[in-house]
Amino acid sequence: MVESTMTEREPSTDEPDGSARRTGRDIESQLRLVVIWHIAGAAASVAMLVLASRTGTQELPATIGVFLRVFAIASFVAHASAAFGVSQRRRWGRTVSLVVSYLTFVVAAVAAIHQLGGFTAIGSLGEGLSKAVVPFLVIVIGLLWVLIAGQIATDRPTAPGPRLLRRAGWVVAAIGAVGFVIAADPSGLVSTVLERIVQPVTIATIVFAFAALAATRFMWHRDVGRVFGTTANVERTLTGLAFLSPNLLGFLFFFAGPVLFSLVVSFYDWKTTGTGRTFIGIDNYIEALSLDFSSAPGPNAGVEVLKSNYQVLMHVDWFGQNWVIGARDVTFWLSLRNIAIFLLLAVPLSVLPALGLSSIIASQLRGMKIFRAIYFVPSVAGVIGVAIIWGQLFQSTVGWINYLIKRTGDLLPFVEAPAQGQAWLSSDATALLAMVIVFSWMSFGFNTVLYLAGHQAIPKELYEAAEIDGARTWKIFRRITVPQLRNTTFYVLITTSILALQLFDIVWILSTPQPGGPDNATMTPVIALYNEAFKDNNRGYASALAWVLFAIIFVFTFAQFRRDREGATGGMA
Amino acid sequence: MSVKRKGPRATATRVATYALLIGVAVLVLFPFVVAVSTSMKRNTDIYTYPPSLVPRTETTVTDPERGFENATVYSLPDREGQYALVEDDVPIAEFRLVDDPDTVIARPPTDGLETDRTVVVDGEDETIYLLEVDGTEVDAVRSRLTVGGLFEPLEGDGDPVVELVNNATSERVFGPRFENFSEVITDKNLGRSLTNTVLVTIMVVVGQIITSILGGYAFARIDFKGRDKLFLIYLGSVMIPFVVLIIPLFQLMLQLGWTDNLVALIVPFMFTAYGTFLMRQFFLGIPKEIEEAALIDGASRSTILWKVMVPLARPAIATLATFGFLFAWNSFFWPLVIINSGNPDNGLLTLTLATLGGRSSTDTNLVFAGAVLAMTPPILVFLFAQRYFVENSASSGLK
Amino acid sequence: MSAVRFSKVTKRYKDGPKAVDSLDLDIADGEFMVFVGPSGCGKSTALRMLAGLEEITDGELSIDGQVVNDLPPGDRDIAMVFQNYALYPHMTVRENIGFALEVAKMDKAEAKKRVDEAADMLGLNDYLDRLPKALSGGQRQRVAMGRAIVRSPRVFLMDEPLSNLDAKLRVQMRSDIIQLQARLGTTMVYVTHDQVEAMTMGHRVAVMRNGVLQQVAPPQELYLMPANLFVASFIGSPAMNLIRAAVTVSGDVVSVTIAEQSVRLAPGAVDRYPRLRDRDGAEVIVGIRPEHFAMMGDIAADDDQMIDVTVGLAEAMGADVHIHAELDVVPLPIDGAMVDPDADVEGLPVDKTPIIARVDGVHLVAMGQHVRLAVKTHLLHFFDPSSGEPLR
Repeated sequence: MVESTMTEREPSTDEPDGSARRTGRDIESQLRLVVIWHIAGAAASVAMLVLASRTGTQELPATIGVFLRVFAIASFVAHASAAFGVSQRRRWGRTVSLVVSYLTFVVAAVAAIHQLGGFTAIGSLGEGLSKAVVPFLVIVIGLLWVLIAGQIATDRPTAPGPRLLRRAGWVVAAIGAVGFVIAADPSGLVSTVLERIVQPVTIATIVFAFAALAATRFMWHRDVGRVFGTTANVERTLTGLAFLSPNLLGFLFFFAGPVLFSLVVSFYDWKTTGTGRTFIGIDNYIEALSLDFSSAPGPNAGVEVLKSNYQVLMHVDWFGQNWVIGARDVTFWLSLRNIAIFLLLAVPLSVLPALGLSSIIASQLRGMKIFRAIYFVPSVAGVIGVAIIWGQLFQSTVGWINYLIKRTGDLLPFVEAPAQGQAWLSSDATALLAMVIVFSWMSFGFNTVLYLAGHQAIPKELYEAAEIDGARTWKIFRRITVPQLRNTTFYVLITTSILALQLFDIVWILSTPQPGGPDNATMTPVIALYNEAFKDNNRGYASALAWVLFAIIFVFTFAQFRRDREGATGGMA
Repeated sequence: MSVKRKGPRATATRVATYALLIGVAVLVLFPFVVAVSTSMKRNTDIYTYPPSLVPRTETTVTDPERGFENATVYSLPDREGQYALVEDDVPIAEFRLVDDPDTVIARPPTDGLETDRTVVVDGEDETIYLLEVDGTEVDAVRSRLTVGGLFEPLEGDGDPVVELVNNATSERVFGPRFENFSEVITDKNLGRSLTNTVLVTIMVVVGQIITSILGGYAFARIDFKGRDKLFLIYLGSVMIPFVVLIIPLFQLMLQLGWTDNLVALIVPFMFTAYGTFLMRQFFLGIPKEIEEAALIDGASRSTILWKVMVPLARPAIATLATFGFLFAWNSFFWPLVIINSGNPDNGLLTLTLATLGGRSSTDTNLVFAGAVLAMTPPILVFLFAQRYFVENSASSGLK
Repeated sequence: MSAVRFSKVTKRYKDGPKAVDSLDLDIADGEFMVFVGPSGCGKSTALRMLAGLEEITDGELSIDGQVVNDLPPGDRDIAMVFQNYALYPHMTVRENIGFALEVAKMDKAEAKKRVDEAADMLGLNDYLDRLPKALSGGQRQRVAMGRAIVRSPRVFLMDEPLSNLDAKLRVQMRSDIIQLQARLGTTMVYVTHDQVEAMTMGHRVAVMRNGVLQQVAPPQELYLMPANLFVASFIGSPAMNLIRAAVTVSGDVVSVTIAEQSVRLAPGAVDRYPRLRDRDGAEVIVGIRPEHFAMMGDIAADDDQMIDVTVGLAEAMGADVHIHAELDVVPLPIDGAMVDPDADVEGLPVDKTPIIARVDGVHLVAMGQHVRLAVKTHLLHFFDPSSGEPLR
């Protein structure tokens, strides 16, 4: 073996446990244990399958039952092939064994934590934190202290002072932590854990998790890899996946899986109350999108001229002919109409000022950074707080907006101020406009900063050349700034539109008397979706609405994507 | 534009420019000023016209000789001078003159001498009372009995007057009410929401940083099989808006038994494609040789990551932390969906505020105190982390 | 200590040409081996394969008889100095040098001792607590060296370590590295594109081109006995003049005709290139190093060992003058094999071969002047025009 020539050197292994090199015989005997482990894993999978089949229908929801069965079968196959591969010393055997053991570890560990109530205990942690605010603040101060002292220590590495200071910071944080544990009083939590940990299923899961962890760590060892004749390529792929795994597993479990599930659900009549779930194909989509155009005898014609199941969406007068437009889901169509109007108003209002202001700020006059910071504040302040403020500003009797309008009217005698304050939010003529104002106010500062980046990319020579040519400010703006910022403008337009299409929070807080009101004047697609999903518990239909909305948003995303591709300047960010 | 010119014309332009910028800044800041002032007002002070930016408080007077102790000072309709409210639940009768039914006079009930005459008002027989007005007795009917305030004039020896407190205007001077903050924290249970929000934010940020560092490093530096395809999928995932995820994610939380628990606000959000890109981009910018040098020095991948790459990636981590903080602190839609039992112990700032400040809100001053509390941390974080923030937002626009 | 053996080592990138093609090379224990060649020749790839930073597509690479193909870099017991030094920006000089020891979990006192020794050797004692950004280029370079020597590795690898330094410092560091290697006696593999470094530093020099090893030899042998046209043109500055010429063999006398001027060869040249005799009447490529010209009269040469040229440009370098001229010969095809790859080949006349002669600096030469150059014919080189092989 090659190892013999290397023994004279200092061990340069980088194993986390720093364990010394293993001898071939050790590895052989432990590999036998790994094979046994995989056989046990396969057996456990069979047990799980039997359990899932027996109790599945009664105790567990059907979806989970199916999922468990599929999972058990996959787990059996994986463990069995790992056992075979390892016992035959196949190169793929180690890879499969590693992957299987690692995944088993993750699943078992998560299951154990779940059984111990570790996840839901986070709720109790919230309670603990509320009881231990002062110690918590001490911890925060300690950590900040450490950070600042650490910064000083890096700047002046010779001075011993900062290092001592940093250690003192750790001490403060530690004192805080002890205080936190005492104040938060985790005795209840501990007793719950102790109570649950003695249950046989929990113990089995924990043991299983530790066995999987041990197997993973052993098979990961480079010397074991050498026994299986691993290559640098395989090592790298395994390392890469190992690093990515926390991210990837979370991505699959909390993003990719749910997205696929959502797509499936959208083809079901899936209500959480009443009768179960039936596959209905694209009926949800038909329900959402169906329109009926009917010519009408008079301007007041109603439902009677429409097909059954349709309701009046709107009346129009085209070329002297009255039409009634009907929809099956009037609310959704109204929300689409609203969001279209919203988009047309809010996007220019939050983009154009940004373009103008950024051009001024980019001129590098004194104090521009302060203005940049000020303009940015609304977009970070938090939409709920902002909406609450604007709710008060829009207040019809004592609100500032009506007051200021009245004062302006008083100043300008030829303008007749309305005697009665405008009821901004409760009148369907102005409610959506109010949302537009709040949205634009929140987002123009962010767009300004985006534009500023675009300005930085404009070659200064262009301006200098224009100055020499004697161009005036406005002309420079029109002929140089605006065309040069075309890409930024496109990006800003798209991102703002995508944001606007998902309008929810502002309307949720501000609209009255119920979200989307008055009289559906501020109904947005997302609010319609929320109502369908969580008020009417119509999850299948709501999923279909989500995908319709996705399709609309995708038009915008795709436009941006296409443009990125065309003007690809490298980098995928 | 970068050329600085001189002369009166240039000066005028500069003044106009600053005027515009300051005007917009006022537009941006004014609502916040309103919020801060409202958060320190008394509730009665909010609903006055014209609106005011100054939190005001009523003036009081203490004069033991006359028996005033912290008596609020009012001015009364149709009366000169100031009055002190000495008793605020004295019985009051409202009388209407028979000859002039629009005139309403508030008096102690004993002021009206009951007669046996009646008069028909709105089809009902009403007893006529004799009431002394300006030294003469007139006929009046008693329209209602209520309670009001007993006001004593501050100056002169005038008689005490009864009047409905609502009709009296209190004399107000500058006086912020800081108790709003403590009251909203204790009485409206915003304290618990605050600690919950802090907990959720910290855990989301820490989780995002860890997973993003690991994932970003793998994508940037480890050339494993299938990496590029996987990365493309990650990229594509950004196109899918959160609304698509809401329903299935809710269903998933339901199955896990995580609904109405803070864990549902934390664990699903510890994984972020955005953060992974951010870290990947940063790691790509670190010279490869530094990592190779560490490899040759015998460091394992994890040693390299934590001892070499992460210390170098501090700016990117700060950016990620800032964004994660703002995301978690301000998130509303998902908490609204998942924290649905109304149990105040699971509340978040945004949720509690939305409920408090909702359509049936009463304590506007407390709501604003809560809103100010909720908005201050993100604004502070933004101000301190501005450098990371602005730079990154900026670079994302530079496509 | 440690010998390195490349055995048919090949590196092929995905869908690309071979970066290193079947490299066979033995580096002896304690040897200072320099890899040299134009950029893209595979010299760095070869070094990085030895370091473990690039995978080996094919072949076997061993250190001390141990095959290291699949050994990660950290387990190969090698140390490397990078062109941009690759210092850890957030660590002080002490931490930079000691990082490998820290990773190896060496006893702290022992590690400190070794770092101090290394710093002593490199004169870095006063900078141990500084961050790299507070150091000059030369100091950084020394820190990178310190990081390498503190581990007492089996092999030192250096990838163009001097190319980021200014000319004066480079000369200084060059001799420092030579002395250091001599003192430590550690095997060294040094990559450079600078032939001066290659010639002055290496015990042996390996010349590479397009992934193929051209010649491995001590520096002087490379100069005197280039294995092919490429090595001939690559080694030496200014580069060797390569001119088409016709061979005439008459009895013992061999002469070549260069631009219709016949040059009789001294017997020594023919002895070194015996196959020249078989080429009577054929075309060969004559290689004349610029320094193997002399002004007529400066050396003893016969009339039939001279050529006349018109000075196109004369560069006075002080000690000598570089005379640029053109000969009425069809130049060699423009191909890396035939001409100096760094030369500016554009705008060359199609029927003129440019030459450079390096003559004693005492001569005043003007543009347009006709000069007669003596050729040190015993030092000429001869190559087959089609294969580029020397006619040895």
